[in-house]
Order: sequence, then structure tokens, then C-alpha cells
Amino acid sequence: MFYISAASTISHQPTFQNAGFSGMIVPLAAESILISPDYKRFIEAGLLRRMSKILRMSVACSKDCLEQAGVEQPDAIVVGTGLGCLQDTEKFLNHSITIEGLLPPTSFIQSTHNTMAGQISLSIGNHGYNMTHTQNSLSFEHALQDAMLLLTEGENDILAGAADEYIEILTEISCHLNVYPRSPLTSAASFFLLSSKEKSGTLAQIKDVATFGLVNSIPDTILALLAENETNADALDLVLFAGNISNDLTIAGVDPDKSLDYKNLSGIYPTASAFALHYAVDRMQQDKSIRNVLICNALIKSNLGLTLLQAIEA
Amino acid sequence: MGVRITGIGIVSAIGLTVEENLNALNESRTGIGQVAFLDAGRDLLVGEVKVSNTDLKNTLSVGAGNISRTSLLGLKAAREAWGQNKHSEKIRTGIISATSVGGMDRTEVFYKDYLAQSDPNFRLLKTHDSGSTTERIAAELGISGYINTLSTACSSSANAIMLGARLLLQGRLDRVLVGGSDALTKFTIDGFHSLMIYDDQWCRPFDESRSGLNLGEGAAFLLLESEKSIEFSGNRTICHVSGWANAADAYHQTASSPEGTGATLAIKNAIKKSGKSLNEISYVNAHGTGTKNNDLSESVALKNVFGDYVPPFSSTKAFTGHTLAAAGAIEAVFSVLSIQNQLIYSNLNFKDVIFETGLVPVTDLKKGQSVHTVLSNSFGFGGNNSSLVFTDHL
Amino acid sequence: MDTLKEDLKKQIIEQLNLEEITPADIADDVLLFNDSGLGLDSIDALELIVLLEKYHGIQVTNPDEGKEAFKSIDTMAEYIRKRKS
Repeated sequence: MFYISAASTISHQPTFQNAGFSGMIVPLAAESILISPDYKRFIEAGLLRRMSKILRMSVACSKDCLEQAGVEQPDAIVVGTGLGCLQDTEKFLNHSITIEGLLPPTSFIQSTHNTMAGQISLSIGNHGYNMTHTQNSLSFEHALQDAMLLLTEGENDILAGAADEYIEILTEISCHLNVYPRSPLTSAASFFLLSSKEKSGTLAQIKDVATFGLVNSIPDTILALLAENETNADALDLVLFAGNISNDLTIAGVDPDKSLDYKNLSGIYPTASAFALHYAVDRMQQDKSIRNVLICNALIKSNLGLTLLQAIEA
Repeated sequence: MGVRITGIGIVSAIGLTVEENLNALNESRTGIGQVAFLDAGRDLLVGEVKVSNTDLKNTLSVGAGNISRTSLLGLKAAREAWGQNKHSEKIRTGIISATSVGGMDRTEVFYKDYLAQSDPNFRLLKTHDSGSTTERIAAELGISGYINTLSTACSSSANAIMLGARLLLQGRLDRVLVGGSDALTKFTIDGFHSLMIYDDQWCRPFDESRSGLNLGEGAAFLLLESEKSIEFSGNRTICHVSGWANAADAYHQTASSPEGTGATLAIKNAIKKSGKSLNEISYVNAHGTGTKNNDLSESVALKNVFGDYVPPFSSTKAFTGHTLAAAGAIEAVFSVLSIQNQLIYSNLNFKDVIFETGLVPVTDLKKGQSVHTVLSNSFGFGGNNSSLVFTDHL
Repeated sequence: MDTLKEDLKKQIIEQLNLEEITPADIADDVLLFNDSGLGLDSIDALELIVLLEKYHGIQVTNPDEGKEAFKSIDTMAEYIRKRKS
């Protein structure tokens, strides 16, 4: 079994260190901004001065998560990111094209996708398995699956999470590519401590996580996953989804009254399903009648991520 | 434990196929030379794949549309590894690729025009994200379902091989193509220059006078199969991946620790996992980039693990250049070829031992060696260290 | 006041993004790379090489040469004056 022992999210919503946030948040307004904590509480000044938004969010959430769970060193750190460190990538790309002569190296160093996982290991002195998955909208699900493989292999506590950051050029790009998202483009990070055993503060359990690239039929895929887990659509108390799949959900037998488009709350970024996971876990703490939750991530319609959660036995 | 390798494919500076690569290794012939295909804006030594994008597109019959060089190189190698295999409803097939630059080769073309405000083609950005480079390869090969991309800098594709093996062992997949691909870009060339570790001369791994790396490009894939998949395919096992480990150095953003902490852990744990004893390791294909820092740290790690009996070792970076995310898979293919052909490759450009460690790599190609077990190291930025063990038997 | 040294302090603060440090906090002889001083690291050393080229037109091709020159504000100023004379 896979247990979620702690969760931490920094986003455009008041999610950070705010248990019960799911009951108070409303859909994001177009001009919402990232709600940042005082990062100095979590990150040494010497490291902080170089860190871009995505790095600050990731390290702060990780530390918060470990503290909540009372775990000093996880056995592994697994991160998912769709687009990686965009701020530093754009900065170095700009330098590389415009500056004649020597280029400042910091933004190059911090442009690689594994910078989050690396900085987390560096800031807590962790020598365990360290991995970064980057499969656009399924990056987070892939990170979760990897964490679950590790727990099956005998590890105890895995820090798994996701992060993506917004930069201004993304808005311009989406206009030029004729993509006009109905929710704002946002930045966020969510981290979770996944454990092989139930602990006193365990929040929920993960029954299954599955990813389907170049998926054929969304309803069939959902039904197959539910069947594999010996459950069915009627048993689901909450379905969180992203992407234009209301019809697919109906075909799969999901009650529209129980389903919720989470990108209205999270905004759009490639790993927004990590926000959905934290939201679901928070809802389950508030409302004990929510026992079975399915997250259907079809942010990019050819890629389907499914995460099945179950409440902890009382 | 371990999983079977039944197919390999590679494209690098020393050749476009497994056979061409093996020939160059056999002749100790480097693929590094003056940059010719990429407009890098400066003179430099690189390990370029000697084919233009247009020729690659024609060879691969993928049409003239927008596709990154990273995908083209990856597809070339993946097709060779995949061979004549067939799909079946009963066999769950996945693909895990690794890349550090993704479609950056296209993005930098866009961004230059964007800054100059000269009608930039925004569509070029559709291939930017790393995941899309893998999706393109998967689509061409008819693979759907488990499609994943790893990005852990220079250890990326070693991690793809490791993850593939774990997925097979846990029964999540029956068959998986694992590997990696990275194209040369101005972005990475300028990046390593900004770190002042790009050597303007030939890179000299494990030499006292080493002063940096030469970048390369390329791709390699391996086909891993479970027993169930082999029953279906009837494929012959050519080698096994039998040990793997990943460890974080947690020392510095770019530099490796002088004690080789992460590297030592990765090597030790990979060998432990393989069930082999230290003296069974016939050859070590080192990471050996040619930077002051890596080669010293890796030498220290080898001594930490093997003491006074470090096995024959060499770096093949002086053949291919440092191919970043593709390096682990390219060197995995070299490791398989080493076992298949009983070869230990020459560490080109070596003259003087590193003063602090006194380790001497293999400096002439050794043929007819008894090579049964090979350790391959891949260490990266951000302290990502991975080691793999390949064997001819389980 | 030595304007070169004062300029260097401002340039270092900007180049290295030393939030919350002012030129007055950096003594001329404080060890830049020592934890008791500014606690800079090898990435900062590369940034300082960029700084020398950008603001002072001085090229350092061997990073080891930088190590000696970047000990303190005093040694940096001395190095710049020597290279310029």
C-alpha cells in the first residue's frame, strides 16, 4: 500500500501551510498571482539568492512536507516537471544570443530539469535516489509511479512532487499558437511524502496511478483502471478532471454532480494534477464522506493520467 | 536478478549504426572534429553526427515537417534497436527516453528571430518540451501507453535503462525501449563555455593535463524484454542489465565532491545489486568527461570501491564527445559491444597520470579479452550519479 | 575613498545577486570565499570572471588565475590595476 503522509503546495491559491484550504478557495481570477511564503524561513540566504521561482517553491514545499511528516531524510527524491526551469532557460538563451564574450554561468547551471531535485538533495544533504521525470502533462503521474515502484522495492519514505513555472512569453506563445486557455496560466509546486506504512498523520492512500500516452479511448481506459482496482464509477465520491472530457466521463458512468474541473482552481500548468492531488487529500480530511477519489488528467487530450485515491480506514 | 537486452541501436559521432560504431572503436578512430553542421558562431571541436537534418528526415521518411534533431537522432537509434519486432495486444510495450535539451535546437532558431523581431516561427516551439521528443519517437514506432522521459543531466539515459529494468521486474511492462537522445545546440555549447570547462583542444579524459570536455551529440536505445515478451518475440538475448544504482552527491550544484561520495555510492550499490563480486568486473566504461573535477572525483570513487585493484577502465568520451543525456545509453551500447566482442576500448589522448590518484586507463585497444561483466558510470550536474552493470549471463 | 574598490563592491552585489548586503557590509580585506566572509563558491568565481570582462575589460582565461585575484576586494583591485597598467 502507498500512503500519503504529508502534502505541501505553493500556488496561486492560499494552499501553503493552510490545511482546509479546499473549503475556502474559489476559481482563479484572470489576474491572480503566485502566493509566496517568506522563503527565508525555509532556505539559506546563500542558496536563495540564486534561486528562480520554481526552485524556491520546490525547496520550500519539500522542507515543509518533511517537517509535517517528521521525516528528516527521505529514501528518495522524485520530481516531475513539464517545462522545467523556464526562467533560467530563457535568461541563458537570451544571453547566448545577445552577449558577445563571456556569459554568466548561473542561469545555464539552473536551466536543467533536474535542478529542483538536485537543490532539494543539496539543501537537506540527501544521498538517496534522485530522479526527474518530464513527460509534459503526465510528468507528475510518472514521478508518483516511480515513487510507488521504490516503495514496492522496500523503501519507506519517498519525497515526490511536481513543479512548473510561468514566464511571460508563454502567454504570447499560446496566442500565436491559437490556444486561448479559459483558465489563467500559473506557477505552482506540490510535494508529498509517500510512505509504505500508515502513520499517525496519514492523509490518504494511493490505490493506483496510471499513465497513457497517445491514448485511444478515454472512457474505456478509465473503466479498465477501475475494474483492475475492483471498483466502479458508482463508488467514486469525487472526480477531479482537467481537459475537455466531460462527455468521456459521462460515458464512463461518472456522475456529473460529483465531478469538478480542477484547472479552474489551479490555473493551467503542465503538472497541475499535483495540485489536484493535494486538493483531493485536503477535501478528504474535511469531509469524511469522501472515500474514493479519481483524478483524470487530460490536460493534453492525447495523454491521460489517472490517480485513484482512497480514504484511510477510520 | 536482471533483465534481458535483445536489441541495440546507436547513432553517434563515430557512426550511424551499431556496426559503424563498432568499426570505429575497433580502429580507435575518434569522431570529434571541427564543427560543420551546427552554426555555433565559433570554431570548436565537437562530436557531431555527420548527417544534416534534411538527410536524416529523408532516411527516416518522416516528411519535411517540424521535428527536432533530438527526435531525429533518437528515432534513428530507436528504429535500429526495435528492428523487426511486432506489436501485440498481449505484450505491453513502453518507451523511456532521456534528453537534456529536448527540442532546444529548434527553440534557439525561434528565439533568435523573436529577439530580432524578424517574423519568428512560433510553431517551432511545439517541439520544445522534452516529453514531445519522446512522443514523436513513440508515435513513429507505434508505441502507446507507457511513454516517459527522464532528464537528470548527464546521467539521464542511464536512469532510463534503470527505470525500464525496474518496470519489467515489477511486471508493469513486458517490453520497453530505453535510451536517450541529445542534439548539439548553441545553448549547451555556450553553457559549458560559460562554466569554463569546454576544451578548445581534444578532450583528454583521465590525463593530468585535461582541461575540459568536447560536446557531442547522438542517441542510443536498448530493447529490454521480459520472459513473457521473449516467448512472443522469440528474440535472442544478447546481454543482461543486471545491476543499477542511483545516488545523489548533495555536494554542489555543478561540482562533484572531492571524496566522490555520490559516485562511490552509485558504483558500490550497482555492483551489489548485480550480485557480482568486485573482482568479477572485467571492464569499467568510465564517465570520464575530461574535466578536472569529474575525472578526479571519479578516480577517487573507483579507488574507494576497488582499492588497489581497479579493473581495466577507459572513457570513450574522446571518441564521441560528451553526448549529455545520451551518454549513458551510448556507453551502455558500448558496454554490450565490449562483452559481445571481447574488447576493451582505448582511452584516447591519454599521456600522463593524474597526480593525485595515479590511475592509468587502458590506452590501447585490447582484443580477445575475457569480458563478462562491465560497469558503466554516468555522473551529472546537480549531483546525479548513476551506475549500471552489464553481464553476459545472469 | 578608493572608487575602484567601491565600484567593485557594487558590481559584486549586483552580479551575484547578494540580497540584503550593502557595499558598506563588505570590508576591503574580508575573505570573499571564506564562510566567515561572504561565503562565495566556485559558481561565484565564474561570475566574477564575467564581471571583470564586463566592467573592466579584463579577460581571465584560466580559472585558477582568478582564485588568487578574488581573495578579497583588495586583491581584486590590485589585480585590475596590474592588468591595466
